[in-house]
Parts: sequence; C-alpha cells; structure tokens
Amino acid sequence: MRERLLRLVKNGPERRALESGQVDAVLDAANGKAFLLSDAERASFRARGKIENNLLAALPGEDYRGLFGEFELVTLTAGEVLCEPGDRIRHVYFPNDAHVSVLVVMLDRKALEVGLVGQEGMVGIGLALGAEISSVRVLVQGSGNALRMNAASFREAFGRCPSLQREVHRYAYAKLAEARQTAACNRFHQVEGRLARWLLMTRDRVRSDEFRLTHELLANTLGVRRAGVTNAAGVLQRRKLIGYSRGNIRILDRKGLEAACCACYGIVRSLTR
Amino acid sequence: MKKNATKPSAGLMAIVVMRLYVAQGAPNSVKAIANLEAICRKHLSDAFKLEIIDVLEFPLRALADGILVTPSLAKLSPSPSAKIVGDLSDRSSVLSALGIKE
Repeated sequence: MRERLLRLVKNGPERRALESGQVDAVLDAANGKAFLLSDAERASFRARGKIENNLLAALPGEDYRGLFGEFELVTLTAGEVLCEPGDRIRHVYFPNDAHVSVLVVMLDRKALEVGLVGQEGMVGIGLALGAEISSVRVLVQGSGNALRMNAASFREAFGRCPSLQREVHRYAYAKLAEARQTAACNRFHQVEGRLARWLLMTRDRVRSDEFRLTHELLANTLGVRRAGVTNAAGVLQRRKLIGYSRGNIRILDRKGLEAACCACYGIVRSLTR
Repeated sequence: MKKNATKPSAGLMAIVVMRLYVAQGAPNSVKAIANLEAICRKHLSDAFKLEIIDVLEFPLRALADGILVTPSLAKLSPSPSAKIVGDLSDRSSVLSALGIKE
C-alpha cells in the first residue's frame, strides 16, 4: 500500500510534503479515490524522508527518491540476530540510529566481533559483491531504526543506479581496509589501546558518550578473556578516561581516550568518512 | 464541504480566489485551514474568496483539478495561478505563492 502511494506521488512539492509528514490524504486517479493516511503511515513517510544514514545521504536527491519506494522503515532491537553464517542474504539494512555488530562464528561456536555498522554504512554488502550467502552473524547491539530493502530490489537498484554503486563500493573498500588494519592491530597492539579504539568507534556509531557493552561482548570483540577486559578497562578507568559499571560505559575524557588508543583509530576513521 | 467568504474588496486590491483541498478532520488539513485563515485575516482583510473542498467527499473534483495530495492550496486568480502543498505553516512561501508582499 505504502509503495503504491509513493508511486502516485513521485516527486515535486507533493513528495516533499509527504516526506515532511505534512500530507493527510493521497488521491489515486486510477480508481478515483482518496486514501487517508494513518498517524503511523504519516510518521513512517516522515522518517523515510529524513535521511540519517550517511551512505544514503551521499546519494544525489533524485537518486535517493528513486530508491525511496523500495525501502521499509524497520525497528531493530538489541539482541536481535539479523542473519547467521550460511543464511541467504534476504535484506540489506541502512541503519539510522541503530547499530549492529558483525561477528565471525567459529566451529566451536565462539564468536569474535569483526565489525560495527551504524549510520555510516550498511549491512548486507555481500549482495553488492555478488554473494548470496552470509558468512557472518549480524547482531543488533543498539536498538533503533533502519531502512531495509529486500535482496531482489537491492540488486535491481544497484544495477541501475551508478551513484549507489559508487557509494557502496567506496564503503566496501573502507570495510576491507578496516579489516586489514584491525587484523594488524589485533596482532601488534596492547589490549588497552585496542579497547580504547573500540570504545571510540562505538561512540562514533551510537553518537553518545554513554552506552552499554558487556564484558562478554568486549571479550568477544577484542579476542581476549574476560579477565583481560577487566584489567584493560581498569587501566582506562584509573586514568579517568572512562567510567564503567555493570556494562554501562561512559566516556569521561574523549581527547584523553583518543590519546590512549592506538593509531589505528585515526586511520580507520579517515577511511570510513 | 464548501465555505465561501466573499466580501467587497478593500480599495483597489484584487480579490484573491483560492481553493483549499483538505481531508476533513485530518491533522495537517486542520492546521492548513487555521494557518490560511490567519494569513487571510492579516494580509487580505476581506479581499479573498476561499472554497474548501473535502477530497474524501469529492475525490473526482480534486483529481480533475490536478490535485494529488491534501492539504493543497490552489490560487486561481489573479494570475499567475499557483499551488502550494502542505500544512501552510511556512507563511512566507504561502504569501509568495499568493503574490502578497510582506
């Protein structure tokens, strides 16, 4: 229904009004009827009109509007698994204020977090690179909303929209470079520096100095035992860079934390901009 | 629903003829009516004629006039004609579409 209404209101001032939540009813010439929008529909159109995701915001307005009808606004809840290794990739997600972890799951079920995706990027990039099956687990870390598109629509849009190709390729390269940098970082750098980097990266995704990260997740992220996380967090805490209690992390001194983390943070950050 | 507010024009001011297409009772339409009434009261005194059309009741009429969504305001005369879409909260855009100098 929503998609049909969007096709009726392709562009122009009507489309802008729809995307700013100022439309009550849409007229359909094909059957001579007016459709009254519900409060939820108005809110959904308004949310879709506001581009929070950086990758989509980088597209020319015309191209974004061309994709608009294919999107569905979804709420992602912390703890929700979007896909498991071996699953067919059914959707791509462009987070607005949600953020998700990408985890590699080993045969013994141990998981290591290898990436974070927030409003700067997308989930399901494999589809753009010709893959159909996910090699990773995607787990929602921070609740929020995201724009979702099904795999077939994304393939079709990706094929016809050069600006989407450009932005997705740019993002894919940044993720590849980030993975290389992180691999080297994990081998050579101290746990404190890596923890500081991960906290700053999380902060950039959630856009808040306060967030929730359990010891277990941090241990999975950094590939160390929980005791290792306790020690490293203790060091940062004693230097008054962070406050940490029962999984709640508060960054007290961002500049200080940047100074404490390894150079990889700056390198990775410059790649994802 | 029709509302006509035709009164003699003030001096040499041309009468502004408008049609406002709404979905009766819906929030943006209610806002648009209130915003337009405030603008008319302040800037047009009595020199306007406004017809309000409920598209839920008269969809074919709105479609025949080229209306796609509500609220939409069409200024019919004096020329040039103009159309403005939304709740009419952007007062300067409405004034400009109606050809009124602030």
